[in-house]
Amino acid sequence: MKVSNLINILTKLARKPGAARSLFQQYPIAELVEKAEKGRQSVFPLSELDEFGKALLGAPIYTRHITRYDTLEKILIVPPLYTPLRLRKMEELMREPLFTDVDTSCKFGGFNSSLPVAVASMGSTPVYNKVSLDVAKASAEAGIPMGVGENVATVWGYSERVKPSQPCFKERVMTYLENLGDNGKGGVFIQQNVEDAYDELWNRVYSDPDITPYIDKGLVGFEIKLGQGAKPGLGGETFVERSLAIKLADKYVFDADPRTVQKELYERHSAPGTYTPEILRSMIRIMRNNYPRARIWVKMGPYRDLEDVARLCSEEKVDAFWIDGKEGGTGLSPVTALKDLGLPLLAVLGKIMKLSRETTIDYVASGRLVDGADVVKVLCFGARAAGLGRPFVVTAYAAGAEGVKKYLETIKMEVQLLTSAVGKYSVESLGPEDIRATGRDVAEALGIKSIYD
Amino acid sequence: MRLILRVQAEASRAVRSWLDSHGFLELLPPIIGPVTDPGIRGAKQVTIDYYGREYKVMSSAILYKQMLATAFDKIYFFSPNIRLEPLESATTGRHLVEFVQIDIEEADVDYKAAMSTAESLLTHVVNTVAETARQELEQLGRKLPRFKTPFRKITHAEAVEILRAHGDQINPNAEIPWPQEEKLSKIINEPFFITDYPKGARGFYDKEDPQRPGILKDFDLMYPEGYGEAASGAEREYEYSKVLARLKQSGENPAKYGWYLDMLREGIRPTSGFGIGVERLTRYLCGLQAVWEARPYPKVAGIYSP
Repeated sequence: MKVSNLINILTKLARKPGAARSLFQQYPIAELVEKAEKGRQSVFPLSELDEFGKALLGAPIYTRHITRYDTLEKILIVPPLYTPLRLRKMEELMREPLFTDVDTSCKFGGFNSSLPVAVASMGSTPVYNKVSLDVAKASAEAGIPMGVGENVATVWGYSERVKPSQPCFKERVMTYLENLGDNGKGGVFIQQNVEDAYDELWNRVYSDPDITPYIDKGLVGFEIKLGQGAKPGLGGETFVERSLAIKLADKYVFDADPRTVQKELYERHSAPGTYTPEILRSMIRIMRNNYPRARIWVKMGPYRDLEDVARLCSEEKVDAFWIDGKEGGTGLSPVTALKDLGLPLLAVLGKIMKLSRETTIDYVASGRLVDGADVVKVLCFGARAAGLGRPFVVTAYAAGAEGVKKYLETIKMEVQLLTSAVGKYSVESLGPEDIRATGRDVAEALGIKSIYD
Repeated sequence: MRLILRVQAEASRAVRSWLDSHGFLELLPPIIGPVTDPGIRGAKQVTIDYYGREYKVMSSAILYKQMLATAFDKIYFFSPNIRLEPLESATTGRHLVEFVQIDIEEADVDYKAAMSTAESLLTHVVNTVAETARQELEQLGRKLPRFKTPFRKITHAEAVEILRAHGDQINPNAEIPWPQEEKLSKIINEPFFITDYPKGARGFYDKEDPQRPGILKDFDLMYPEGYGEAASGAEREYEYSKVLARLKQSGENPAKYGWYLDMLREGIRPTSGFGIGVERLTRYLCGLQAVWEARPYPKVAGIYSP
C-alpha cells in the first residue's frame, strides 16, 4: 500500500513523528494520493477492498472531519410525566397500558401498513439485487410497502434472468406480492427512469396479467424518481462488465464504447432528467391518465426547492411524497457528491414539519435511518413513514429473509417502546411536541423546543 | 361474419372515394420504426430485436403523418397497428390488439378544419353504406340513422360537467374513462365532438393552445347510441422546442425520438389530422356488440388465438 510508504517518507522527512501523524489526520493525504494513483476510478468511493456492486455506500457522516452538518443525533425523544392519552387508553383497556398496546399500523401512500416503515426503492446494484428476494418475502410477510428501484428490468431482465445468480425484475415484484398476507397491508411501488422508459416498464407492468389482479386490489404504485439523497442533480452511476455493457450500449452512456474498446469494467452513466414545474405537473397528470388504478409516488433528492415541488405534488394529489436526505444510500455515487451535494435529512425534516401543516400529501423521509428511534423521530417531524434501505441489505446478508423479519420485529418493538414512553398509543399521534433538539440553534432553525427550554 | 366483412369493404370503399375526390393522396403506411406513438393509455408497444437494434411495431403511425403531409399537402393511409392492451380492455367491446386505422393528415389547416373533414367524411360513409350495403344491414337487423353535418360540439370540460350531472365524478385532467365515454355517447345520442382536452390526457403531439395554456387543440369524434369513440384527432405541435418540452412533460426520453426531432429542427408545416378505427366503424355500421366481430382472426387481450 503506497499510502503507508508515503507516511514513512513524511515521517522521515519531518523527523517529528507526531507532527507528521497530525498532518495526515488533518489533511486528506490518502485521498490525494488515491486520486494521483487511480485517476477517474477514485471519483467513486471504492477502496481497494471494495468491489463495485458489493459495497454499501452513503455519506460517511460519522467519520471525523466530515460531519459538518447536524443529524438526527441532535434530536432526543423526551417523554412527559402527565399523559392524558395514556389515561384515555386505560379507559379503553380497563387496565394500565403497556408498550405492547401501541398500534403501529398506519396508512400512507395509498397503502395500509403494519409499521410506519417502507423499504426504499433499491435498484439494480448487484449487492442488493442478490438478496432482494429475501427482503421482498420478509417485508411482504410483515405487511410493509416495498419499492423496486430503477434499472432492474433493463439490467437484470423483466421476466427472465440474464445472469443465473441475479433475480430479474418480475421475480422481485411477484415474490413480494405472493407473500402478502390477506390483511390488505403492504403494496409495491415501482420506479421507471429515463432509460427504463425505453422499455416502457410501467406499461409492461400495467398490462402484465400476473400483476393485474394486484393492481385491481390497489396494491401497486408507480414511483417517479426525481433524484436520490446521495447525489441530487446527478443521474444513476454504476459499473458494468463488458457483455452487459454491449447489450446496453444503445440505452446508456458509457465512458468508452464497449463495442470497440475492451476493458474490464465500464462506467455507465444515466441522465438525471430535466424538470420544470410544467414538466412535473404534466408527468403526474399523464400517469394518472394512463394508469388510473396505480398509486402515484414521487421520490426526490434533497434539493433546495423541495418545498415548491412538495406544493405542486400536493396540488396534483400524489399518494406519497418521499424525500431522501443527503445521508441516503446509493449503489454508487461520486465522493464529491457524498460529501458536498444536497441537504441533510435534518434540514429536510424541518421543511417537512412546516409543509405537513399546509399540504395534504403523505411524506416519507429517508437517509441513514437505522433503528426504531430514527423512525419515531421522523414521524414526530410530520412524516407519515420512514424509508429504510441499507438495513434490509445488511440483515438479509446476515440471515436471509428470517434476518429481515427479526430486524423488523426489533423496529416494531422500539417504535412501541418510544411511542408509549411519550404517552401515546398510535404512531399517528406522534408530533413535534415529543422531541427536543440538543442545541438552541438547531431547535430554533427547526422550529422545535431545545432540551434547555 | 360474411355480411359484416362485406359491410366493412363497402365502408372502406366509401372512405377512399370521398378522400380521393377531396384531394387526399393514399400512401403506404410504415409498419416498423425506431419509435412509435407512446400515447396509448396503458397499452404496451411491441419491440422487435433486429441485429442487436430495436424496432417498434407501429401503435400508430402518427409521427410519420406530419412529414408526409408536409410533402404532399393531404394524405391518408390504412395503417395496421398493434397495441398490447391490458386485460381490462378485453371486455370493453372496443379494443383489439391488432387493428387498422385510417390515418388522415392535412397541412396548413387548424383542428377545426380537421373536424370539418372528419364530420363530412363520416357522414358520407354512414349515409353511403346505408344504401350500398342495404341488404347486408337488413339481414343484420341494423337500421342506421341518417347523419347530418355539422355535428354537435362540446368541450372536454362540458363533458365532465354533463357526466357529473348524471352522477359520475371523473378526473377533469384526464381522458374520459371508457364506461363514462359510452354513457355520454348514449346521453347525447347523435354524432358529436368532444374538443379541447386537458394536457396530460393526450399524447405530446397534440398542440397546446397558446391562448389557453393547459388546453389542447384536439378532439374526439363520438358515435351515438353508446358506441363511443369514432375518431381522435388534433392540430399538431410542429415546433422543435415545444415538442421537446412536451416530450419531457410526458416522461419520454427525447433521445428515442432522434429522427423525428431532426425532422422538426429542419422545419415542417403545421398540420392537423385524425385517425378512424376501421373495426370500430364497422362495429357501429353493423350494430355489433364488440369490435372483435369486425375482423377476421381478431386478437383480444388475454386470449391466444390464430
